[in-house]
Amino acid sequence: MSASQSAVRSRAEAVKVSRTFDWLILFTLFFVVLGGYHIHYMLTGGDWDFWTDWKDRRLWVTVAPIVSITFPAAVQACLWYRYRLPFGAVVCILGLLLGEWVNRYLNFWGWTYFPVNFCFPSNLMPGAIVLDVILMLSGSLTVTAVVGGLAYGLLFYPGNWPVIAPLHVPVEYNGMMMTLADLQGYHYVRTGTPEYIRMVEKGTLRTFGKDVAPVSAFFSGFVSIIIYFLWHFFGKWFAQTTFVNSENF
Amino acid sequence: MAATTESVKADAAEKPLLNVRNLVLGSLVYIIFYGWVRWYEGVYGWSAGLDSFAPEFETYWMNFLYIEFVLEVCTAGILWGYIWKSRDRKVMSITPREELRRHFTHWTWLVCYAWAIYYGASYFTEQDGTWHQTIVRDTDFTPSHIIEFYLSYPIYIITGGASFLYARTRLPAYQQGLSLMYLVSVVGPFMILPNVGLNEWGHTFWFMEELFVAPLHYGFVFFGWAALGVLGVVNIEVQAISKLLKKDLA
Repeated sequence: MSASQSAVRSRAEAVKVSRTFDWLILFTLFFVVLGGYHIHYMLTGGDWDFWTDWKDRRLWVTVAPIVSITFPAAVQACLWYRYRLPFGAVVCILGLLLGEWVNRYLNFWGWTYFPVNFCFPSNLMPGAIVLDVILMLSGSLTVTAVVGGLAYGLLFYPGNWPVIAPLHVPVEYNGMMMTLADLQGYHYVRTGTPEYIRMVEKGTLRTFGKDVAPVSAFFSGFVSIIIYFLWHFFGKWFAQTTFVNSENF
Repeated sequence: MAATTESVKADAAEKPLLNVRNLVLGSLVYIIFYGWVRWYEGVYGWSAGLDSFAPEFETYWMNFLYIEFVLEVCTAGILWGYIWKSRDRKVMSITPREELRRHFTHWTWLVCYAWAIYYGASYFTEQDGTWHQTIVRDTDFTPSHIIEFYLSYPIYIITGGASFLYARTRLPAYQQGLSLMYLVSVVGPFMILPNVGLNEWGHTFWFMEELFVAPLHYGFVFFGWAALGVLGVVNIEVQAISKLLKKDLA
């Protein structure tokens, strides 16, 4: 390769080439991360995300943020620390939500006929925006992990409240008290109906009612801090440009 | 750098840097093919896919499986064989413009890989969740598995392998060894396919339909993380492309 030659004919062409690569990179990054993140999320927190009768005030609130802060932390570790792009978490969540919504509509509804208001995905966007904003303002891994991670856990339930509240309204059905979401579940029996596999919300706090969700969110935020740290370093590892000698294989 | 009359003439004669037609056609192949597959599932999943002992199951689903096995092995052999056989043996001697053109071709492959990963890891995998929350399996080869495990996963393996081979055989940036993260991002998702062995082994012992987050599925999760290797690939590419464009963008 001759150093005197140029890959482009003009500065304008160089700019155009650079912009074209930006779009190709963004598209590929978006959909490959979407694929990896979605398979991770559906197999670590999926059941709570699939059905409204799994969206309780205890395990859903605890599990969903903990397992979903992973990829945002890893992608932030690359996009922010290498390119100062402050949208790693939002890109991940947008990808995940796109994959989920396409699936819930075309497959959950379109193939197996569960109504969309029974199988819509959880909203993870408020936590992702806060995570990106905190990283952008602080530029600090520690602050983002501690403040952002905690906020990510705490914001999950309020972020979903406007959607889930109408389905947590109590109803009486055949002499039993349950929520509207539970009633949906009774009408759409699955192999994973929570009562069948005894994954229903239970415990002493439920008896007294009011404090279950905040306690769960606080615990979730605490674990999210630890998971953020861990996945930040995973992201750093995945972002390396190391080559290995082919003779080793 | 000012464009000269000669360079303008050369531009008109040479191949474009990015072959947009190939990019669009490559994407359409996945979108149209998987659209047809989804139509097939919709029609024959319910009408012929519920009982693996029924004759129509053999006709519409097992034959689909046998045909896709043969086509996948042939496609992988021909495609990977062609890319390897037609490799550039003087890859370090190409001009910077040719190198740039090859980076665009490489990104056309990566865009195809992105489509393939999306359909395999996202679309057909979560679809399998809702199918088996509805239909309890009586075989390992259910309609959703015949599409998810044995069609969409091999297709992203074939596409990822082709992309990796293209970079390795035609781009100077990949001649210093094997890119660790490229290997991770191609071999990791590839390992999801052998992990199907563990999955099916477990499902033959226990009814696991109840819980999609069952620990039996964690092998898929672990290998799904490998998709993050694309971050390393992006970084290698940004470095290589920056090197080619740097003085013209300054």
